[in-house]
Amino acid sequence: MQSVKTKMKSISVPKLFLAVGVILACLAVPALSSSYMLRVFNMAMIAYLCVLSVYVLLGMCGQNSFAQAGLWGVGAYLTANAVLKLGCSSLTAFTISVLGTALFAFILGFAFFRLRQYYFTFASVGLMTILNGLFMNWTEFTGGALGLSNIPAFTIGGFVLESEVWKYVMILPICVIASLLMKVLFRSSMGRSFMAIRDNEMAANCLGVNSLLTKSIAFAISGALCGAAGALYAFLSGYLSYQSFTYQQSTMYLIMIMLGGTASPTGAIIGTLIISLLQEWVRPLQNYMQLIYGAGIMILMIVQPEGILGGGKAFYEKHIKKKKAYTPAE
Amino acid sequence: MNIQLLVSGISMGVVYGLIAMGMVLIFRSVGIMNFAQGEFLMFGGYFCYTCNQILHIPIIPSLILASLMMGAVGVLFMRTSYWPLRKAQTKAIIVSAMGASIALKEGARLIWGAIPVSVDKVADGNVNLSGAVIQWQNVAIIGIAAVLMVLVYLLLEKTFIGNIMQATAQDQYMSSLVGVPVIVSIGLTFGVSAMITGIGGGLLAPIFFLNNTMGTVAGAKAFAAIVIGGFGSVPGAIIGGLIVGLVEAFGGAYISTTYQLVLIYVALVLVLMVRPQGIFGEKIQEKA
Repeated sequence: MQSVKTKMKSISVPKLFLAVGVILACLAVPALSSSYMLRVFNMAMIAYLCVLSVYVLLGMCGQNSFAQAGLWGVGAYLTANAVLKLGCSSLTAFTISVLGTALFAFILGFAFFRLRQYYFTFASVGLMTILNGLFMNWTEFTGGALGLSNIPAFTIGGFVLESEVWKYVMILPICVIASLLMKVLFRSSMGRSFMAIRDNEMAANCLGVNSLLTKSIAFAISGALCGAAGALYAFLSGYLSYQSFTYQQSTMYLIMIMLGGTASPTGAIIGTLIISLLQEWVRPLQNYMQLIYGAGIMILMIVQPEGILGGGKAFYEKHIKKKKAYTPAE
Repeated sequence: MNIQLLVSGISMGVVYGLIAMGMVLIFRSVGIMNFAQGEFLMFGGYFCYTCNQILHIPIIPSLILASLMMGAVGVLFMRTSYWPLRKAQTKAIIVSAMGASIALKEGARLIWGAIPVSVDKVADGNVNLSGAVIQWQNVAIIGIAAVLMVLVYLLLEKTFIGNIMQATAQDQYMSSLVGVPVIVSIGLTFGVSAMITGIGGGLLAPIFFLNNTMGTVAGAKAFAAIVIGGFGSVPGAIIGGLIVGLVEAFGGAYISTTYQLVLIYVALVLVLMVRPQGIFGEKIQEKA
């Protein structure tokens, strides 16, 4: 009884307003925006799934991977091949993508997590480059430089989700479910093992956490998220090219989560929205677009090094504790 | 035929070695990987182009001028994208460097345009060595890079400024206590790093034309070189650069040109699997 009461109390009025506001905003997006802007939002949601995968690895488990866009590509090509070559239904293809990418990441995790911290990051850059090379050259699986085209839209029970609004309606619940699952993971014992590894790997080992297995599971979960994102991307765009799945894209995900804050999925949402919309807002400036975009990332990072969510704390550190004696970084 | 590949591989390798050395200097000094180092190469090349092709200064003085300008760019880069974040987490510095890399790339495109340009060669012509045709430019690159590496070694080991830089690299707090101006010292490190990388750009320009995206690819290869050679080791960076250059030249000739970058990274992953600390790296002790 007591716990129920405290739970009821913890849902405060501002939080309720926030929740209603978010739901209204989700409904307002398809109603108010043009088909082009809706495509931007759909792409942002797909990016959000990938950023969520970075959140699992970096925010929870403390492992910095640059291979996420590669896993995203694996998911996308798995779906495309399942639909085009094996003739699977959309739902089966989606499942194959999620499970296949997770398995792929799990096996690779066992090899790559023998390397620690920095070295894992470097190996993941290597993995990304190798995957991109494969996407570009493995003609049977990826269509090579021409890419794969004519992937049909998501079909369920004979109903084709062809229009942009229907795609929005399909992707949004998946994002919500993924976010809720991350919340569950955060509270589970597995999530706590991740965080123990992030904070101090050796101490986690002493407490009986099998760090190799746990990190591989974290990589597999991030693989599943990327696989889902890849499948959705394949259904959304209908055309896959190796140029989408690049190292630059992976750095983009890192930038997104760092801008939002690595502490929670909310940070991932904020970061994804800011970068996706920033790209659209600076588009009218054409020639100067990328310059302002790059400088913008730099300035945002300098002003809010802990991400926008962690910004308040950093502000305090920077301006109130400034007078303290000089201490080295790390 | 083989000698030709060997020479071009080594000459590319020493340039990657220069970039890698720049990255390692910064890494040892402030403990972060500079993700914008490749852009220093590109900028150095373009400065050289400005001096050489637009202002019509001979190539050797333009290389020196370009390198001096790069020193200023390095200091500026350090002041804008590293210094404000020095107390933040490492990830934040990396992301800020990535932002700087995008901005530098686009800045170069706006200033110099997207059309690839070139500069004069340091040494023209070819030499015929028992059937193998070797460009003098490649030989010159190897020579200049070797001189630069010796100069950097002398600067770090034999001069007072070098000692200050090394002291700051070892322990910033301690060196600030004994009176080393940390910001000057780190600024100098970034400057020297940008200077040697920038000269690499000027040397590469006649062989590969300059464009605003060349830095990313070269940076990725230098990055592989550092990891192969051993993280944080200057000789390791040079050896790693040579290995990358040779793998690229011979892999491109005998296996496939489309898989060049893939081959380099396969080599990187293999080295990491067998010897995670790289060839010259010391095993980092795990702290409890």
